[in-house]
Order: sequence, then C-alpha cells, then structure tokens
Amino acid sequence: MSQKNSLKNINSIVDIVVDKFNIYSDKVAIRHHDIDYTYSDLHKAANCVATYLVSNGLKVNDRVSLIMANSFEYISIYYGILLSGGVVVPLNTAAKYNDLLSWIKHSDSKWVFSDAKNKEVNHLIPKLYKEVEFIILGDFNRISHDEKNIINYKNIQKDDYTKIKISGNDLASIIYTSGTTGQPKGVTITHINLLTNMLSILECLPIEDTDCCLNVLPFYYSYGNSILHTHMMSGATILLENSLLYPHTILKKIEDEKISSFSGVPSTFALLLNRTTFADYNLSSLRYITQAGGAMLPKHINELKECLPHVELIIMYGQTEATARLAYLPYSKLGVKISSAGKAISGVVLEIRDNLGNKLGSGEIGEIYAYGTNIMKGYWKDEILTSSTIIDDWLKTGDLATMDEEGYIYIVGRKTEMIKSGAHRISPLDIEESILHCEGVAEVAIIGLDDEILGQIIKAFIVQKPGSNIGIRDVQRHCKEHLAIYKIPKIIEFIDKLPTTASGKLKRFELRDIH
Amino acid sequence: MEFQNKIRKFILENYLFSEDESLLKNNDSFLETGLIDSTGILEVITFIQDELSITVEDDEMIPENLDSVDNVVSYVSKKLA
Repeated sequence: MSQKNSLKNINSIVDIVVDKFNIYSDKVAIRHHDIDYTYSDLHKAANCVATYLVSNGLKVNDRVSLIMANSFEYISIYYGILLSGGVVVPLNTAAKYNDLLSWIKHSDSKWVFSDAKNKEVNHLIPKLYKEVEFIILGDFNRISHDEKNIINYKNIQKDDYTKIKISGNDLASIIYTSGTTGQPKGVTITHINLLTNMLSILECLPIEDTDCCLNVLPFYYSYGNSILHTHMMSGATILLENSLLYPHTILKKIEDEKISSFSGVPSTFALLLNRTTFADYNLSSLRYITQAGGAMLPKHINELKECLPHVELIIMYGQTEATARLAYLPYSKLGVKISSAGKAISGVVLEIRDNLGNKLGSGEIGEIYAYGTNIMKGYWKDEILTSSTIIDDWLKTGDLATMDEEGYIYIVGRKTEMIKSGAHRISPLDIEESILHCEGVAEVAIIGLDDEILGQIIKAFIVQKPGSNIGIRDVQRHCKEHLAIYKIPKIIEFIDKLPTTASGKLKRFELRDIH
Repeated sequence: MEFQNKIRKFILENYLFSEDESLLKNNDSFLETGLIDSTGILEVITFIQDELSITVEDDEMIPENLDSVDNVVSYVSKKLA
C-alpha cells in the first residue's frame, strides 16, 4: 500500500509531524549551535505556541508573520501556528523595513514573531504595535517594549493544547516572492498543497529516520521549507548552519557530525567547489545531495561527481507557486539526461505550451505549465494576477523549456526579467524603484550579469539629474539603507541615457550589450 | 594598530558605505550582523593578502580568523609573528 493510501484521513502535514513527535520523542530532531533538541522538545514548544495563539483569539486562517532566522524556535513556532489553525507568513530576514511593513500589512498578520537582533523590528513596532502583537525572541532588552503589544517569547510556556480541526483547503502559509509589478506577491499554500507536495518529494528522496541532514538554506524560501518538512515527517535529524560565509565549516561539519544529506542551490555548490578542497575531509557519511533553485553548470555537476563518487546527486526543479517541487532527475539518469531538470514528480503533470496555450511536441520550446494538488490556491488578495497565472487549474510557470519523449524537461530561460543571484530571485523593478528615490538619480536600469559563483550579479546603470554630482558611494549608501544586502548592485555605472524603444520602453537587452 | 585602522576603513567604505566610525564595533560579527555576504568575505581576504603580502590558506578561512575586525587583527598578528 502506498504512503498516500495509508494517509487518507490526513489533511495536513502536522498530523504526520505530530505522529513523529510521539514515535521519535527522545530522538534528536534539531541540532543548532551544538545544542540538541528532541522531537519531544519540539512537540512541547509547538504546543505552547499553539496554546498561546488560540487562547489569545487566533481563529483558523488568521495570519502570523515570522521574521526569524533558522532555529529550533523557528520550527517550533512554524508547527505551533499550523497546530493552532493559523497561517504561517515566513518573511525574508534580510529584507528592510519597507518590504517587511508591506508584507505584514498586506497579509493582515495579527501576530509577528521576530528575532530581537533583527534591526528592522525596532522600526516596525512603533508603526504597527496598535494592530499587531510582537513576540520577541532573544535579547528582549534590545527592543523598546514600552507598548502593551510586545511580548517576550520566553513567557510562552503553557501547554494546554487541544486539537484544532483543520481542513485540507485551509491556508497553511503565505510566502511573499519577488513580483514584476512592485506590488506584494503572496503565494497562498493550503494544507493539502503542502501535504501532497511533501509526500511526493518523499517518494523521490531516500530520506530515512537515521539520516542527519545539514541545512544551510533559509526556511522562509520554499526549498528550505521543503527540507524542513520532509525530514520532520521522516523522523530524521536536521543540523542547522545558517551561513555559507565560511565554506570550510560546512565540510568540517559534514565530517564531524557524520552528515548523510545536504541540499543547496547552484551557488552553494559553486562556493564549496571553488573555496574548499573536498579531499581534505572525510565525507564518507554523505549518502546523497539535492540541488534545486536553477540550473547548475555542467562543469560543477561533473566536479561534484568526481569529488564525491559515492554520493547520489539528485537535481530538482520547482517553484514557490507549486509549494516547492515539480520535477526531479533521478541519480541514475544524471549521466544520460544531461542538463535536464528532470521529469514530473508523482502527482504533478507538466506540459510545454506555446503562447496561445497549445500543447507542444517534444523538442519544441515553450512555457512549462504545471498541474497537480500542489499548485497554490492563488496570490493573496490579487485575483487579476491569480487568473493570469493559473489557467483552468494549470500553473503558468514563466519558465521556458523543451521536453523530450520520456517527459524530461530542459529549461532554456525565463519569460520574465527576474534576476537569480544565489538562492534569491530578485525583481529588477524593486531595485530600480528604490534607487530612483536616491537624490540626484534621474533614471536607473538594473540587469543581471552572469557570475560563476552566484549565477548572476546585479549591475545598475544610472542617469543623473542635470547638475547632480552623486558618486557610486552615495548610491551604495542609499541601497544599504533601503535594500536587503543581496539586492545591492555589485557594479554601478553612470551613463548619459538609457536605451529605449520609440515608445519609451527600456531595452534591457541592449544594456547587456553595452556591458 | 595601523592594520586595524586600515581594515576598519575598508569595511566601513565597502560594506557600510560610510566614514562614520561609530557604525562598526571591532567585535561586531560579520556573520551575525549580516554586514558581509559570501562574496564580500572573499574581498576581505583579498584585501588582507594585498595589504600584508601574506596568503590566507583555505583552511584558515574560518570565523575564528575572519569574523570580526578583532578576529582579523588577531589572526594576522599571529600570522606575521
């Protein structure tokens, strides 16, 4: 009997995760900063969060935002919110005040859990405390907490949880992604989306309860989120490492902690391959690695295979709008289906279609359309964007690809101008809007340039206002203040005018030629 | 002390885009403050190597040696001793 058939009465991943909390109660679920947290610890902490939220008036489908780096507390709070019937809104911790404010307001979050060390929180509190309760983790004294609606997370200790009835169609999460319009773009994921996609991923990956996974990906992105859930649903252990700043520490951890699995985006592996020597470490415990978040250079795939001949490399492809994953390339096909992003995972149907929505034959380039129970409900409070993205239950992914006769897809590009740098998808418009507010800037255009490590780096072309005499440093300072660090252009060039069409539309491709 | 001032100036200019000395404490963790990203740390290493004509070995690229002004200064002092 397949896992899906045995789970007929289950509506949410929390039903499975709570089951694991009980089965594996004394086993280590999370290791962070050398502290072990068992499944039982996680269960208790999640129950306390759920008890608190329900007793303070949370109703099913109410939104709760998180501004938190990966930690045991992040996971406890995430599952606590799901147990309470609430909707998790995990926000990018690198984001600045304006984005955070816009997401919290747009999602109508009534509670915000935040790390005290996040500098933006002290700016958000005066703006929001009348309508939002802030629950602070870490050093409470770093936060000005004169107002009533500021709570110390340490005081959330009461476990009086009784099960809340959740339907599969209730929302589990809203994930904000970069849009092309400058408006907040919240992907709504239901419990059934999350449950079915995690079960499909579990069919592709050899996760066992004896596994110890080293995770470097932020949980607020869908890829990291899927790693969290699939491991907790399997009774495995996750070791948290929140930065790739020092790649050596990653390999040292794999050796010391006998890590069995590791996941990354192309830049993760590019960093490891370029800045470390795999042969210096005993990585024999590693069984498999997964890679998603864009195509990895074939050169890096080959280098990984050479450095880690005993390790299975599993390529995956997905989107936040599809909860997390859509396709995977089994290790056995890696040498055969070169440069493929894989074939549809169980429960997903993929088609390549032309601009009119007609299905194309094998080898023809078109847009990937995806169908399945993992496809989002839509964009939060944006029916127009939803109806142009989901057509008759099929998701238009915006990715251009071909498909071979066996259903393997080969991605050739994107329809939109989104920049992919490291693990981040960045809208050029977001950066352009911000830089336009910098004094002395008349016009600005952002492009992504190819980069071997990050995939792409950001370049800004700026036209100054007449008489203005701003320098690169002025623009960088402005960006530092208003943009997340990964959105700050690495290269800035001043030019006399931007190339435009007769109708005034920016010819971004010409800027690439100028470069 | 001279190198400490140079590395402070480098970090202030390139990652804080400022000359305001009060923005950078010598024990601020680059990792915890999010001041420097993964490509930035390579630039810091290049700066150290160019300034002092030393080589930062692969296995020396660890937080204990590089994660704050204090750590960098202590690391290069040992290296030059």
